[in-house]
Amino acid sequence: MLTVERYDTMAEAAGAIGERVHYLAGGTLLMRAVNYGYPGIDRVVRCREVPREIRTDTGGIRIGAGATMADLLASREVEFLHPVARLIGGPAIRNMATLGGNLFARSPYGDLAVTLLALDAQVIRAGGAAEPMESFLAARDRARGLVEAVIVPRVSAGEFRYAKVTRIKPKGVAMMCAAVWLRGAGRPSDPRIAWGNMGAGPLRAKAAERALNGASLDEHGIAPVLAACCDGLDPQDDELATAWYRREVAPVHLKRLLLGGRR
Amino acid sequence: MAIHKGRGFAAINYPIGMNLGGDPAQALVHSTPDGKFKVALAAIDLGQGMKSVTRQIAAEAIGVPVEDVYVDTADSDTGPHDMGSFASRGTHRVGNAVIRASAEARKQMLEAAAEELEVNATDLDTDGRGNIHVKGAPGRSITVAETATAAQFKQGRTLAGRGIFLIPLSDTDPDTGEMTPVTCFAHAALVIDVEVDDETGEVEVTEINSAYEVGRALNPRLVEQQLIGGAWMGVSHALYETTEPYYPDRSHAPVDFNRYLMPGPGQIVPHHIAVLERPAEDAPFGGKGPGEMCANPVLPAIANAVYNAVGVRCDRLPITPEKVLRGIRANGGAQPKGRR
Amino acid sequence: MARTPLTFTLNDAETALFVDEGANLIDVLRRGAGDLSPKQGCAQGNCGACTVLIDGELRLACLTLAETVEGRRIDTVAGLAGGPDLHPLQAAFMDGFAAQCGFCTSGMLMAARALLDRTPDPSRDEVIEAISGNLCRCTGYEPIVDAILDAAQRMRQGGRRAAQ
Repeated sequence: MLTVERYDTMAEAAGAIGERVHYLAGGTLLMRAVNYGYPGIDRVVRCREVPREIRTDTGGIRIGAGATMADLLASREVEFLHPVARLIGGPAIRNMATLGGNLFARSPYGDLAVTLLALDAQVIRAGGAAEPMESFLAARDRARGLVEAVIVPRVSAGEFRYAKVTRIKPKGVAMMCAAVWLRGAGRPSDPRIAWGNMGAGPLRAKAAERALNGASLDEHGIAPVLAACCDGLDPQDDELATAWYRREVAPVHLKRLLLGGRR
Repeated sequence: MAIHKGRGFAAINYPIGMNLGGDPAQALVHSTPDGKFKVALAAIDLGQGMKSVTRQIAAEAIGVPVEDVYVDTADSDTGPHDMGSFASRGTHRVGNAVIRASAEARKQMLEAAAEELEVNATDLDTDGRGNIHVKGAPGRSITVAETATAAQFKQGRTLAGRGIFLIPLSDTDPDTGEMTPVTCFAHAALVIDVEVDDETGEVEVTEINSAYEVGRALNPRLVEQQLIGGAWMGVSHALYETTEPYYPDRSHAPVDFNRYLMPGPGQIVPHHIAVLERPAEDAPFGGKGPGEMCANPVLPAIANAVYNAVGVRCDRLPITPEKVLRGIRANGGAQPKGRR
Repeated sequence: MARTPLTFTLNDAETALFVDEGANLIDVLRRGAGDLSPKQGCAQGNCGACTVLIDGELRLACLTLAETVEGRRIDTVAGLAGGPDLHPLQAAFMDGFAAQCGFCTSGMLMAARALLDRTPDPSRDEVIEAISGNLCRCTGYEPIVDAILDAAQRMRQGGRRAAQ
C-alpha cells in the first residue's frame, strides 16, 4: 500500500530516500509510475523546501534541482539552455518537470541531462557534496539521497550547440539528441560532445571530442569528427528507431549541427 | 545531400457498408407530448457526425425543425439493433433506417392532425417550422406541439415509427463468381506532394490536393471536417503509426503516445479539397459516406510520391525514415523519377 | 488506508474532501469532486486530456499528486463559461468545428486559455506551441489552431468594446 511522507527540509527528505522509497518532484515520472501501479514504489517522499532558484555562483550558475523547465525558460541567466528546455514536453509538462527529475529520466527522456553532461556540470547533493555530471550519471541507478542543485558553467550562445532529432513537430521525444560544447569562440578547444538515446543513458563521444579539438568547422575539418562520432556509443533498437538507423544518421545530424544549418 | 520533391497520385472507389448479412440498421422514432421527436439508435457516433446527420435526416423526413429532434445514440440497451460504426455505413444505413422510422411517425402525426382539423390526412403538409396545414390553405393549420398533445391526451394515439434498412444479401453466382457486394460507392482522387531527405530518409508531406465524391454532402461543414481530419489520419498511418514497429517480430511495441507516433500540430499539411456531389439513388437524400475513404487513398499516394521523389518503393507501412534510407542505399543513391 | 483531508477551490467553489494516499488529481476531480469536464486519457502525461490550471498555471491533473493542491485554486473547463454564456474559446471551437469526438477538447480549451491569459494576440506558431502537449485524433489540428486564433480576436474585440 502506497504511503506519502512529508518533510520540511531537503536533509530530512534525503535521509528518507531508500529502496522502494521515491522522491516526488514535478511528478512527470513518478506519478506516471504510481498511476500504473508500478510495484517498486512503497513510499513517496514530499518536501516542503524545494530549491528552485537560479543564480550566479562560484564556478558558474547554480540551478536548484526543483527548477522547472518553465523556470529555466524564464531565466536570462541560463539563456543558453532555452533551446533545450523549450523542446521538452508541452507547456503543462514544462510547468511541472524539474531539472532534478530530468537527471534520472530514462530514454527517450532526459534531454537536459545530456546537455549538462556536455557542459561538464557539477551535481550538488543535499548536504553539499559535489560530483561531476559524468560519474553521477554513470552511477545514478545506485544513487541514494537527493540532488539539491546543479552548477553549470556560464557559456555564450555561440559555443553551445544542441540538436534534438524527433519526428513529431513541434514536440516529440528524442530519437536522439546531441549537445556540443565547443568551448571557445574560434576553433574548438577541449570540446565536449554528448548524445542522448545513443545508449542506455547520456553518453560522451570522446573519440569525436578529440577529433573536434582544434578542428575548423567546415565540411573538411569535421570529417574525422563524424567518422568517430559513434565510437564508444551503444545505440539500441527501440520503438523510435533501430540501432542501425541511429548509427547511420547520427553523423548526418552532427554534421548539420556543427555546420550550423538545419539541413 | 539533397531534398527531393516527389508527387504521388491515388484514386479510390470505396464501398458503402458491408454485404455480410445485408448489414441492417434500425431506428425508432417517437414524439414527446409537446411535439419534440426522439430518435433512438444503437448506432454509435465516434465523432464522425452521425448524430448530427441523422438528426437532420429525421427533421427533414418528419417535417419538423431540426431543433425539435433529439437523437439518442450508442446504447444497445435502449436503441434498436445496429451492426456498428464501420465501413463508412453510418449515413447510408442508419440514415435510411431513420427515414423509414420518420416516415411512419410523420404519417401518424398527419393522421392525428387531420382528426383535429377534420380533414383528410392526405390533404395535409408540414412547413418545417413546427406547423401542419391544409395544402393550399396555410391558414387552416395546427402546430406539431398541439397535434402531439392531442394525440397523447385526447386521441390516445402514438406518433411513432419503426425503421429498418436491409439490403438483401447478394448470393454468388456459382459459375461466374459474380455478385453485387454493395449498392453504392464513394470515390476520391488525391495528389500528394512530399519532400524526402536522402541522408536521413525523412519524408515530409507538403501539400494535399484532393477531390472527394460523397453523394450529397448532407452537412457540408461536417463533411469537410471529416475529410481534413481523415486525410491527416491517412498521413499518420502512412508515415508514423504502428503498434509493432518490427513486425512480425513483436518486440518494442510502443507503450505510450510519445512513442506511438502521430504527426503533431506543427505538421499541418495544406489540404485543398473539392467535394463533388453525385447523390446515390438508394442513399438518404443522396448522402453516401466519407468515412474511411478519406484516409485510405492517402497511403498509396504518399507511397507513390516517395517513389517519385527518390525511387524507393515501400510496400510495408509505415514508411519510416529507416525504410526509405535502406531503399536509397540499396539503389546506390536517390533516383528521382521526375515529373511526367 | 489513511485518507488525507484536502481543501481547494474548484472554479470558485470551495471544495473539501478526503483523498487516498497516492491519488492523482484527475481521479479526485472526477470521482471525488464530480467535475467530469477534465478527461482521463493516458494517465502518462502524454495526451493532455486532463489539462487544468492550478493557480493559473497549466498542469496535467493525471501527474499531480492530489494532496499537493491543498489550498490552491483549480480551474477546469466546467468553469470556463459564464453561466449560459459560452467563453469565446468555446464559441470559436463550436463555430469552427474544432471538435469531433470531443475527448481532447477540454484539455485543448484549457491549454488555449492559458495561452490567451498571457498572450492575447498570439501568432499561429505560438498557438501551435501552446497545444503541443495535447493530442487530437480526429481533426488534424488545423480547425483547433484556427479556432484559438479566432477566439483571441473575439476576446480582443470584446475587450475593446468593454473598454469603450
